[in-house]
Amino acid sequence: MGFLSVILGFCGFGVGISTGMVLGYYLFIYFQPCDVKDPVIRPLVEQDSQSLLRLLPEIPLWVKNPDYDRIDWLNKFLEVMWPYLDKAICKTAKNIATPIIAEQIPKYKIESVEFETLTLGSLPPTFQGMKVYLTEEKELIMEPSLKWAGNPNVIIAVKAFGLKATVQVVDLQVFAQPRITLKPLVPSFPCFAKILVSLMEKPHVDFGLKLAGADLMSIPGLYRFVQELIKDQVANMYLWPKTLEVQILDPTKAMKKPVGILHVKVLRALKLRKKDLLGASDPYVKLKLTETKAPSKKTTVKHKNLNPEWNEEFSMVVKDPETQALELHVYDWEQIGKHEKMGMNVVPLKELPPDEPKNMTLDLLKTIDPSDVQNDKLRGQIVVELTYKPFKEEDLPKDIENPSAVQKAPEGTPPGGGVLVVTVHEAQDVEGKHHTNPYVRIIFRGEERKTKQIKKSRDPRWEEEFTFMLEEPPLKDKLHVEVLSTSTRIGLLHPKETLGYVDISLADVISNKRINEKFHLIDSKNGRIQIELQWQTS
Amino acid sequence: MGLISGIVMGMMFGIGLMAGWKHMMEYRNKKRLAKAIDVRSLSSLNRDDLKKICGETFPCWISFPVYEQVKWLNKQLSKLWPFIADAAEAIIRESVEPLLEDYRPPGISSLKFSELSLGNVAPKIEGIRVQSLKEGQITMDIDLRWGGDPSIILAVGAAVVASIPIQLKDLQVFTVVRAIFQLADEIPCISAVVVALLAEPKPRIDYTLKAVGGSLTAIPGLSDMINDTVTSIVTDMLQWPHRIVVPIGGIPVDTSDLELKPVGKLTVTVVKASGLKNMELIGKSDPYVVLHIRPLFKVRTKVIDNNLNPVWNEKFELIAEDKETQSLIFEVYDEDIGDDKKLGTVKLPLIDLQPEVSKELELRLLPQLDMLKIKDKKDRGILTIQVFYHEFNKEEQLAAHEEEKRMLEAKKKLKEQGVVGSTMDAVDSAASAVGSGIGAGANIVGSGLGAVGSGLSRAGQFMGRTITRQSGLPRGSVSNIQITEENGAAKLHSM
Repeated sequence: MGFLSVILGFCGFGVGISTGMVLGYYLFIYFQPCDVKDPVIRPLVEQDSQSLLRLLPEIPLWVKNPDYDRIDWLNKFLEVMWPYLDKAICKTAKNIATPIIAEQIPKYKIESVEFETLTLGSLPPTFQGMKVYLTEEKELIMEPSLKWAGNPNVIIAVKAFGLKATVQVVDLQVFAQPRITLKPLVPSFPCFAKILVSLMEKPHVDFGLKLAGADLMSIPGLYRFVQELIKDQVANMYLWPKTLEVQILDPTKAMKKPVGILHVKVLRALKLRKKDLLGASDPYVKLKLTETKAPSKKTTVKHKNLNPEWNEEFSMVVKDPETQALELHVYDWEQIGKHEKMGMNVVPLKELPPDEPKNMTLDLLKTIDPSDVQNDKLRGQIVVELTYKPFKEEDLPKDIENPSAVQKAPEGTPPGGGVLVVTVHEAQDVEGKHHTNPYVRIIFRGEERKTKQIKKSRDPRWEEEFTFMLEEPPLKDKLHVEVLSTSTRIGLLHPKETLGYVDISLADVISNKRINEKFHLIDSKNGRIQIELQWQTS
Repeated sequence: MGLISGIVMGMMFGIGLMAGWKHMMEYRNKKRLAKAIDVRSLSSLNRDDLKKICGETFPCWISFPVYEQVKWLNKQLSKLWPFIADAAEAIIRESVEPLLEDYRPPGISSLKFSELSLGNVAPKIEGIRVQSLKEGQITMDIDLRWGGDPSIILAVGAAVVASIPIQLKDLQVFTVVRAIFQLADEIPCISAVVVALLAEPKPRIDYTLKAVGGSLTAIPGLSDMINDTVTSIVTDMLQWPHRIVVPIGGIPVDTSDLELKPVGKLTVTVVKASGLKNMELIGKSDPYVVLHIRPLFKVRTKVIDNNLNPVWNEKFELIAEDKETQSLIFEVYDEDIGDDKKLGTVKLPLIDLQPEVSKELELRLLPQLDMLKIKDKKDRGILTIQVFYHEFNKEEQLAAHEEEKRMLEAKKKLKEQGVVGSTMDAVDSAASAVGSGIGAGANIVGSGLGAVGSGLSRAGQFMGRTITRQSGLPRGSVSNIQITEENGAAKLHSM
């Protein structure tokens, strides 16, 4: 009997609990409003000490740490922009989601899935400090402290089997400290090729998930579990050193690496116009590729000849065959005075078929402007043979993926030996007593190399690379780097000055393969020089 | 019995469970909301807030200037600068060179960059201030300072001299750049950016000119010409209220609201002046008044000989583009052989004027507009004027806009004539080696007008009804060519 009543009691309890829960659901939860109100924000000054105490753990990093910068102006910017961003993001999200949903629902026998409301709320994300790191590499590193405690309201209504269920996400809070690295830096806007994002710590995520009005996340224990799950998932993907990579520019193009070689054979010119008063002109041809800083190339001068034959060959490095063009100028050589122009023409490289020699006979013009009346005059013709040879895929340098990685030594390097690559980047605060026109002299095992001279600069940039082929690792050798300055004026007074020097022991380079550091210059007040050293072995 | 008590207990337990859940929901909701509010209010702290939070231990590394400091941005900028400089050089060359060519003063046959590199020193951002002055717009003021080491060499070719390389040395720029972001509902949420240099504080652009392997005196008035070209480009293109409107791609929006448009017409009658200073040794001053709202469009009265209390009674019409910030500037000159001497000047801010009310004003002349530089407190005389400000309505504004377009066409033609005419002037003055700076400067104004229109059709809107072109001729005879817009057609008056 007692046994039966216990069984009945249990059954009753079971029935009661479900009825009670249904009752309680309708009593307490169902009639809860599911809209999200805008929070009332009181100025801090009005708040009592109790709520101020609660604020303490949330104090922005820029208040606590001097190495963080305040970026409240960005917060203000975001605040004003937020309503517009909200609309734009929600619109885009809907546009992206709708076709995906339409594609997916037939599989699950669901009638429809749609956003009932989608808003990110009135509270914008805030940046509570920004820290940047300076390294010697070509990269920018910044670490904003991002806090978004918003009041978004996302309601997704799912209809299936004639029933409707809503899932609501409210009060999303994301606190994260991402590290944003922009690299490599390139000389074309926006000046970086890739954005790398990774998280320095596990992010804090909190939200309310309401299923039919009841917040699942407030079931004790469940919230913690879900939060850990999300944290781990995100951490698996993006926690440093794992990164999220966003490509902005094609690095090959952005870095302006050579992509091919143009071979130019200047054959001859025909019927050039006479320019000299006495006798015929003395023509020569000057060749230049547009958009390069490389010096132009010249043929020899053919004296007293209006139909000169040169048959001279030149090759030039091409960086962008789509936009670059070859400029040909014919000049009249003069013993004294300015060389006179005899005519010119331009060949855009995109007109050339790759790997195929092309013979061209070009009319010489006064200017490239087609409407120029002076172009009607006959100035003669020039005959050239052009061959554009793009590099094959395997010829292309492969270090683009990771510019800081040490390359393999080129072929022909003796076994056991390698190539020492010295890159002189820049110097700061070098100053001479009488003049500051710095250049760098590198001495290694008696071999001497020099960079070009930069005039009147205390912070020169050279960006020059020197290579030394070696039979064996230079474990005991030192590299002598010296910054010198010579006077630009011709005079016996102070012709040459040393602005500082540094001796770099190469043993570290051999063991580390690569070193990129700023060295303090000896015999200089405050000078520093940035030198990159690489040891490339086969 | 057991069943009923079980059901009752179960129901109670179930309801209790739900109540507990609800309680938890509310608790968590409140907690999240409180946190949201905290984070929100901490995103923009001011000094008082921070004092309240930190109490005695106020961190000493924090200060609250008007312009917020951006050390991190400067660090990044200096690192990025070599790359920006490289990328910007080509763009500057492309965009500024045609402008220079258009602005090229007569007497100079070509004006090009022969070398342009921005140097190794990055500009410094002293501070940033963000405001929202208008609905749907963000105003960002950037306090920019650049004491760079750029190497800019202009190849200046003149009719008489082959080509002189002129170097711009020791360039220093101190200015506040105002960027206004027009917001939109589509990503990237910004439909256009308006860029201008704030007029207050006045942008400072200092540089020294140096001829490389030559002499600056080879072309008379050359440095004045270059200085004037730079000043007129800066004040009439970049300085607020003039602005450059850059539409951000992707969103087709009407940006015409952002551009500078004529807002009103100012009818000024220069009635008379009294008690002017005598500048001449023999006789009295020969005064005339030059007035303008924008320096490019100056108008002037006749010269009244030998009179310290002249009466002109001349009427002018000027166009205002921005009533809030623009001012009408009067300058009284004494006509003289060589340089005309300034007798006094006065500024009338347009904001002081009431629309549609005719008003007679007596203005005290000052030696200089910059109050800091005024040394003596001597009376410079009083200028009596009559002003009537008429605010344009929509149709009139449109009409003025149309008229302006026609004006620009006319100016383009005039420019060609002007160049031909003024090259002669330059040869003339070079031969006699009397180059008046003012004359040269005014020449630029004349010939530059067409350039303004053509070079900057996207950069801003230009207005102006009347153009005065002065050319300094030897022997002090000033010839004026006044181009007055009447019924939409340009006419040439020689005075």
